[in-house]
Amino acid sequence: MKWDLREVLRITVSMTVACVLGAVVLGGVYVGTERYRVTADRTRERAAIQDMLDLPADATMLEVRQYLAVAERQVRYRVATMGSGAEGPATELAFSLDGELLRLGPVTGPVPPADEPLGRVWVASQAGQALGFVIEGESRGYKNRIRFFVALSPALEVKGVRVVQHEEDPGLGAEIATPWFQAQFVGRTAAEVSRLDVTRDPMPEDWYAAVVALSTRGESPEYTRLLARERTLPIHAVTGATISSRALTRGVRTTVDHFARRWALIAPHLGGHS
Amino acid sequence: MATDPKQAQTSGCEGCALLSGSPPADCSSGGCTGAKPNEPAGGRGPLLMALALAALLTALLAGAAIMLLRAAGVAHADTVAPRIVTAHVAPPDAIALRFSVLPGDLSPSNFRITPADAPDLPIPIVAVEPGEGGRVQVRVGASLSRQEGYRVSVRDPALDWEVRPSQWSVLLGIFLASALIQNFVFTRYLGLCIFFGVSKRRDTSLGMGVTFTAVMVLNGMVAWAIDTFVLRPLDLGFLQVLVFIGTVAFMVQFLDTMLRKTHASLHQRFGLYLMLITTNCIILAVPLLNAQAASGPLESFMLAIGSGLGFALALFLMSCARERAELARVPRPFQGLPIAFALAGLFALAFMGFSGLDFFR
Amino acid sequence: MNPEPVAGARPATPSPIELIRNGIFAENPVFKLALSLCPAVAVTTTVLNGLIMGVAVLAVQVLSSVTVAIAKDLIHPKVRIPVYTIIIAVWVSAIDMVMAAFAPALYAQVGLYIKLIVAFAIIISRLEVFASRHPVWPSFWDGFGMGLGFLLALLAIGVVRELLGAGSIAGVSIVPFKPLLFFALPAGGFFTIALLMALFNAIELRRSGGRMHSSMESGHGH
Repeated sequence: MKWDLREVLRITVSMTVACVLGAVVLGGVYVGTERYRVTADRTRERAAIQDMLDLPADATMLEVRQYLAVAERQVRYRVATMGSGAEGPATELAFSLDGELLRLGPVTGPVPPADEPLGRVWVASQAGQALGFVIEGESRGYKNRIRFFVALSPALEVKGVRVVQHEEDPGLGAEIATPWFQAQFVGRTAAEVSRLDVTRDPMPEDWYAAVVALSTRGESPEYTRLLARERTLPIHAVTGATISSRALTRGVRTTVDHFARRWALIAPHLGGHS
Repeated sequence: MATDPKQAQTSGCEGCALLSGSPPADCSSGGCTGAKPNEPAGGRGPLLMALALAALLTALLAGAAIMLLRAAGVAHADTVAPRIVTAHVAPPDAIALRFSVLPGDLSPSNFRITPADAPDLPIPIVAVEPGEGGRVQVRVGASLSRQEGYRVSVRDPALDWEVRPSQWSVLLGIFLASALIQNFVFTRYLGLCIFFGVSKRRDTSLGMGVTFTAVMVLNGMVAWAIDTFVLRPLDLGFLQVLVFIGTVAFMVQFLDTMLRKTHASLHQRFGLYLMLITTNCIILAVPLLNAQAASGPLESFMLAIGSGLGFALALFLMSCARERAELARVPRPFQGLPIAFALAGLFALAFMGFSGLDFFR
Repeated sequence: MNPEPVAGARPATPSPIELIRNGIFAENPVFKLALSLCPAVAVTTTVLNGLIMGVAVLAVQVLSSVTVAIAKDLIHPKVRIPVYTIIIAVWVSAIDMVMAAFAPALYAQVGLYIKLIVAFAIIISRLEVFASRHPVWPSFWDGFGMGLGFLLALLAIGVVRELLGAGSIAGVSIVPFKPLLFFALPAGGFFTIALLMALFNAIELRRSGGRMHSSMESGHGH
């Protein structure tokens, strides 16, 4: 195969053109889909929060974004009212690692890239009355990460758990995303959740029926009755999916525990926002 | 038999023939068998071995250098004697520390233990139990895991230590996961085209396995470098696919040209495999997985070599089984690929036994 | 039907219907050509996963075929493979982003495999064998036929695996229990394909009276 310079040049030029063209096309698609994806994500999140807390239409929502500023040894929170479009003005709270308030004031700039995000919390209220919280959390599952929301009542009792994203096997690990598995968490206090474990023992028949009834109908007197017996007992794992069950339980446990402690710190300073 | 080249072009190994440039007659017997029938079996590939070894050594040296630097960096700035010599998690609920000299104040209030990812939330300390030789056991009121990271600080004297799962256990964990527990062929179902095409005979399987591991490691590291130093800082994540397939194609081409020039006989033997690698899903999946997990260089290396060796193992096992299957009386509709799939299914079932394997919990 | 349809040997450009039938039956990518098998096992755990993957492959195939058919005079023959690869990679990335934006829940299950479409031999071989030699519309139909064959194959596998593994089809529960959970596992996927391929072969054996397409023969003396 003889190559002459002109041909090589032609080939190089045409390949570069192809690459550049391709990159431009992709850039365009990226810009277009990214904008759509961000708004679609926010709409979906808002709908999930509305559903999990059973909110009235005129409830206000605060979004609290948590960040860990490693170098400065601070934990920072950015609080903003979540509107249907852009966010309202944001307030920033900065705490030292010992829980001392270092700063409370309006946000002065974008989040420094070195800050590690610690997840978001949404606080719902209506006419000054707190209606509940939804916390997003993440844990490592069998395949990849499991993202979930935990809904808490104002008294920090679990109102619901919802797996938002996972890559577990259908029929096995994916069962943790079913309403009946998630209904096992409902009604437990934050203190009980912080000690929550997973057992492979089979679920008692009556408890299973109550849990399914709760997940399908939204409420169940049987569930409330049996909860008194079950609330201090571990979560029953999905048969054949112990790792996924443990991952979700561990995630819920850590998320609720961390939230309860951090909320105690920042709640007194958020009076102006309800 | 495919005497008509055009007919062979539409047979099962179209893509292979296309990319390898080999004559279509090679594809006539149902898949890319790779080496020609009267090619001598066995024989080493010194150049390929050398390449693979060079990659391995470079990565190991780099890894050792990184770890040394990291260890030096972790030796904390503000240490006053006494200082912490070492610390590790003693499950279920304690952290074992070893001081050079025991600190004077051993009350729980002098110590602070926090999870590494939540340094503002200290774990309640139940008791501090001193032992011999500067050892101290700090018992906490929660369950600790060896897989998690924790930060231990002492107030007086001011000391800080980060307890992390040992680097080697993490790396070995990644290696075992990619080779066995989540074997790319039997658990993640990647690389099947090449797998079924090449696994008909033991020697071709070994050849493919070796080539593949070498290319996988080199490509994995190059792709990691590009992702870490170019794509991620410039927020060009959406170009991942384009860039990664580019590096694969380039790498394969480069190796092919090098082999052809330096070692013609080796090229005759391994050349076809090299071309096939371009259409192998695994070669693309590993950089994508590394990018997704934002792995460091050592983790990426471990994933690459683990997946390569796992693939080689899968190929070898499959070839042994298929050689036997050729002597069995297989019903007509099942002959060829269907029985191969059934065999793969049996292997996949066996590999399920590895799930949940974990030495380090 | 002509037992050995050969794209390059036809005297005239085939009609759309012929191309589509070719893609579904005679040269079905999964069952006959045994190409691009990775996703066939991985994503067919449920019908919906198989559907989204099949649609993605169909889109990429059609778009790539059309692009190559349009640009075939601009592509230098010596670098045609890299250029085809670039074209495919661009379309795969674009489809990947679009799906992530518009169907995120489903996309999360198959995200990695959609990115791997770029490594499929079937797409690049169609470009080489057909799209680079035929005008735009026939290339469109050829790509469509191949993609449709792939989609239908994935759906077939998905129906079997979901029905047996989870007792439902596309999320709609058919039986209230899981008949054979085994089929939702990777091993079950392999077995499903083995059985479906054998079925395909058996049907073709009967239709052609004992002559089977040579690509499926194991090569006894080998």
